[in-house]
Amino acid sequence: MMHLIVYSAAAQQILNILPLMAHHRFCAYIDPGTGSFIIQIAIAAFVGCSFAIKIFWSRIKTFFINLFCKKGKTPEK
Amino acid sequence: MSTQGDVPGSFRDPSGFLFWRGGEIYRQVNNTYRENYDQLMNSGLYKALTDAHLLIAHEEVAIAHPEPDRAYRIIRPEMIPFVSYPYEWSFSQLKAAALVTLEIQKKALEFDMSLKDSSAYNIQFADGKALLIDTLSFEKYRQGQPWVAYGQFCRHFLAPLSLMSYRDIRLSSLLRIHIDGIPVDLADALLPFRSRFRFSLLAHIHLHAKSQKVFARRTVKKSVHRMSRFSLLGIINSLESAVKKLKWRPAGTEWADYYDQMNYTRAALDHKKQLVAEFIDRVNPKSVWDLGANDGLFSRLASDRGIQTISFDIDPAAVEKNYLEAVQKGEKKILPLLLDLANPSPGIGWENEERQSLIERGPVDMAMALALIHHLAISNNVPFARIANFLSRICNWLIIEFIPKPDSKVQLLLASREDIFTGYTQNDFEKDFAEYFTITSSIKISGSERTLYLMRKRGV
Repeated sequence: MMHLIVYSAAAQQILNILPLMAHHRFCAYIDPGTGSFIIQIAIAAFVGCSFAIKIFWSRIKTFFINLFCKKGKTPEK
Repeated sequence: MSTQGDVPGSFRDPSGFLFWRGGEIYRQVNNTYRENYDQLMNSGLYKALTDAHLLIAHEEVAIAHPEPDRAYRIIRPEMIPFVSYPYEWSFSQLKAAALVTLEIQKKALEFDMSLKDSSAYNIQFADGKALLIDTLSFEKYRQGQPWVAYGQFCRHFLAPLSLMSYRDIRLSSLLRIHIDGIPVDLADALLPFRSRFRFSLLAHIHLHAKSQKVFARRTVKKSVHRMSRFSLLGIINSLESAVKKLKWRPAGTEWADYYDQMNYTRAALDHKKQLVAEFIDRVNPKSVWDLGANDGLFSRLASDRGIQTISFDIDPAAVEKNYLEAVQKGEKKILPLLLDLANPSPGIGWENEERQSLIERGPVDMAMALALIHHLAISNNVPFARIANFLSRICNWLIIEFIPKPDSKVQLLLASREDIFTGYTQNDFEKDFAEYFTITSSIKISGSERTLYLMRKRGV
């Protein structure tokens, strides 16, 4: 349920961002590439944060694992 | 601009093109691509990718340039044994191709390069692994730039995989109609509502489609919108997670468990395997196409002998099972592919030439058509003479099994239709095939009414 709330909020935020990124100049031809470009920037704002947190946590985890592993090791004679 | 000898599928790329010379394939690298090519080769990226079997290896050669004014280098890439297309791949093959593309993109970023296109046609299967065959797909990564191939990745991989997983496995055939991938708005319309509950699909398919609609007639100043490297990695990571989470499990299909329910006794099956193996050994072909291969039981008689074998079947479940077995066993010589023989892959794209038809990709040394003739002659109403004609166009040697009318499998096909097939006799079969092939052996499979033939194409 928590996931759903987070997803809905993220999706709403992305939808809110979209119109702010446009210049309202109309072209003669439809260009799906612009929409792909914009959605990528919008999604990146969210996944970039979660990716940063993921990397951050994995570094913390690695730090503690290394710390305990070192403590557990008996010094070689 | 010369077009003679050019490979029709490579003309769109301004960075270079493929061409044939003396039976070998070469790629011209154009001057406009010079900087990117040098960075690929000198940064260590080429070595890292080829060492990991993610990119096709090549050597630079000194031969006459087909377009000297534009040429920077000529390279000779390693040959791919058989070029296959995404609409011929099973679910896991397309998924493997998607993950390889993302792995390459991540590796490229480590060397300050980025994939400038992510076409599924740039991935091929060789030695049992998916790898990138377009050496000119890389460009220098500019700080702040988003992934230019993002939209293409969604069309070529994420849209078909999500449709196959969430809606119907047969929707991979949409790739045959849409040569540049399934449009995101089409995937958005076809996917069930529940797909929106997965954030990656909500974002990369549904909101993506919405964004395309919103911006269809608007322009944006792209230089204003920049993306950090971290965000770019976040996008790649998100796509990778989206692809990995997509699953498809074949359940209860007609053919996937065929060998468990067919009407062969163990002794008859063993005798058939022994005969097929003997015929293969007698001809010793370099390449084999097994038509109607099911999960590849007989294909492996060829591939286990080190013969390059394509294992075709119409059933996505059988092809999936076959591919997963090949992956699990680490088999290098077998490539399972999806194919409807009654409607084989056509030539598609510009001038019907960008992607080759099945016939254009032949002829193969040897084809096998085991337990197939009744499906073509009775289910599809194709006369023996036409079947023989088609087979003579795709192979030089043929192992074919004749299944007589009293056989229970033929009776099953006739159960719900009028028997209009008065010409379906062994005599007619031999007479019509003799027009195109010389029958060199015919042996009755013990414990059955079926006969196995070895035939050689006339004039070979």
